[in-house]
Amino acid sequence: MATSPSEVPSLRKDGVGERPFRRLLVANRGEIAVRIIRACRDLGIETVAVYSDADVHALHVRLADDAVRLGPPPPTESYLRIDAIVAAARSTGAEAIHPGYGFLAERAAFARAVDDAGIVFVGPPSATIDALGDKLHARRLARDAGVEIVPGTLEPVAVERPNQVSSIVAEADGIGYPMLVKAAAGGGGRGMRRVARAADLPEALVAGSREADAAFGDGRVYLEREIAPARHVEVQLLGDADGRVVALGERDCSLQRRHQKLVEEAPAPGLDGDARRRLHQMAVRIGLAAGLRNAATAEFLLDPGGAFHFLEVNTRLQVEHGVTELVAGIDIVTEQIRIAAGQPLSAEVLRAAEQAGEPIGHAIEVRLTAEDPARGFAPTPGRVTRWRLPTGPGVRVDTGLEEGDRIAPEYDNLMAKLMVHGPTRTAALDRLRRALDEIEIGGVQTTVPFHRFVAADPSFRAGELSTTWVEEHWDGEADYRHAVRLAQLAAGVVALRDASTAGVAVTRAGAGPPAAAASDGAWLRAARELAIDRWPR
Amino acid sequence: MTADPGHPTDSSGVRVTVTAAAGRPETPALVIDGRATDVTVAGPDERGRAVVTAGGERGGERRAVLLLDPSPRPGGPVDGILRREVVIGGWRVEVEIEGERRAALRERASRAREAVAHGGPTEVRAIIPGRVLSVSVVAGDDVVAGQQVLAVEAMKMQNELRAPRDGRITRVAVAADQTIEVGDLLVVIE
Repeated sequence: MATSPSEVPSLRKDGVGERPFRRLLVANRGEIAVRIIRACRDLGIETVAVYSDADVHALHVRLADDAVRLGPPPPTESYLRIDAIVAAARSTGAEAIHPGYGFLAERAAFARAVDDAGIVFVGPPSATIDALGDKLHARRLARDAGVEIVPGTLEPVAVERPNQVSSIVAEADGIGYPMLVKAAAGGGGRGMRRVARAADLPEALVAGSREADAAFGDGRVYLEREIAPARHVEVQLLGDADGRVVALGERDCSLQRRHQKLVEEAPAPGLDGDARRRLHQMAVRIGLAAGLRNAATAEFLLDPGGAFHFLEVNTRLQVEHGVTELVAGIDIVTEQIRIAAGQPLSAEVLRAAEQAGEPIGHAIEVRLTAEDPARGFAPTPGRVTRWRLPTGPGVRVDTGLEEGDRIAPEYDNLMAKLMVHGPTRTAALDRLRRALDEIEIGGVQTTVPFHRFVAADPSFRAGELSTTWVEEHWDGEADYRHAVRLAQLAAGVVALRDASTAGVAVTRAGAGPPAAAASDGAWLRAARELAIDRWPR
Repeated sequence: MTADPGHPTDSSGVRVTVTAAAGRPETPALVIDGRATDVTVAGPDERGRAVVTAGGERGGERRAVLLLDPSPRPGGPVDGILRREVVIGGWRVEVEIEGERRAALRERASRAREAVAHGGPTEVRAIIPGRVLSVSVVAGDDVVAGQQVLAVEAMKMQNELRAPRDGRITRVAVAADQTIEVGDLLVVIE
């Protein structure tokens, strides 16, 4: 057999070292689009970006080798347009589409349309997305796989039949209050209702069902006992075409507000090796039962007694995948792309899965979002006039935002993910404090003050986590008041000093709109944006 | 020191008022005079970066602070009021700085004006698209500035919409569950 160096790649039967695709389209925007483009660059794959009119100058568009306009800013006219995205892939010769997270990532119809166009969908097969997207189906599947699920119903509650109210209430009594009404097609808290007593149940069922129908076109709801206090722990899964499924470790995402995660870390603090391995095995059993290929995450609640209860499976790359990458030492996005190209799980992934029971090091991610933590995390869209993010040892920042960009109200308000990595949880937290101190952001209010509080808080540092932690510990108004006082002092002292040294008016030239901008309507646009961004929320 | 009429300071010191704080806790204006305080500020440089030390040089609280011109407005005092965006500990605070004597005069004048002002109707319109979650008022209700009028879902978040002024609701143009577009009339206050 020939052994000349030039022929070596062709000897690799498993395809390792080959470029999985020539060209890949990224059906997303913001930091995750940039993240996927970077993975493609690392693999030598050309990228195609898609964009709405709000993102013409965005980083992901500039980084890609080619870019296709989808339409106006509203997602339904741009990033949610299946036809336009598939057409963009066809016209640019993309062989694969990565959906990122959000938008179309968990729409089985999108995965199917991509398949039908002869393009590879980087994610689980459409049948798996369909099956696991139905939360009731996922609950039955987990139970059949011998995994403990959150106590509740396995079939939709018959909301429409008033004569069954008594049997529904009887069933609910068996589950126990307080409980949650949840949407079978649900996610993100849509259609969810908390019910503390039987008398409120019928009304909650009707309201939850109606909201679910409006949000998902599927009004089926089910009941789940509320487990509180609880921690939110999830397991990163990867599966390949050979039917292998591995767990790459778990993440604790307990710090949430309105079911939106704020802080995530890997590994979950306080788990011993046995509990960790048991958790990973449960997740793998679910993944195998679902015929999982590519990446997914199995979510669990951890009750105070140390028991895990299966919640649901997300059939996509998670926002917080980076903390697992830092601890496991692998690149989940490049693995996703390789798996999509038909390659088996890599040796690195198998090794990382073996070590996942005894993780080394600790990683924490905080989501920097355009939200005001003194006003109940209300959105604060606007233009970012200063944007300096931290660097240094153990720090990773994933972002698609640049100074001067506008955070548009049409989209998710995630600005950047700040990740820190250290040998221990304490070391990682110290790095988080240091990194947060280096941040300079102007123009919009962000969640930085909240994260500074978290990084320094004794109970968080002690690992006392729960999904109600934020409301129990965070007093945004008090923190804000202290900062305001210092801000007033600083501004006042500087103004006084400037006045006494100058002795004259310091009015600068051009107190009106910039002359250059006035002619092309930019000033009007800026004023309109300002009005939108300042609208009370 | 003689005060310049266009400058935001005068001999009686400056008043620093927190602005653009809809929904945030009220914070009283702070008056700083020439005798001021145990606060020192190093900087700002041309990019607005400074370090503020409060509570004495040694053992005090030392924090990095940004003192920025509020965008998109240009810098410098307008009508004797200097506007600044101050960022400290991640908190973004918009302040107005004005000479204390001038501020006192202006306040007296504006109180007088308000007393005789004739309140015409105010149309509150949607500035972001979304869905009305609930309506807390009906026509005929008296409202005070800052009172919640509607809850709107936009950007996956519930947003409370508050009355921009005191008055009586003369019209409620939307209902719960209704989808609203930019520019849609929501309520009229008279």
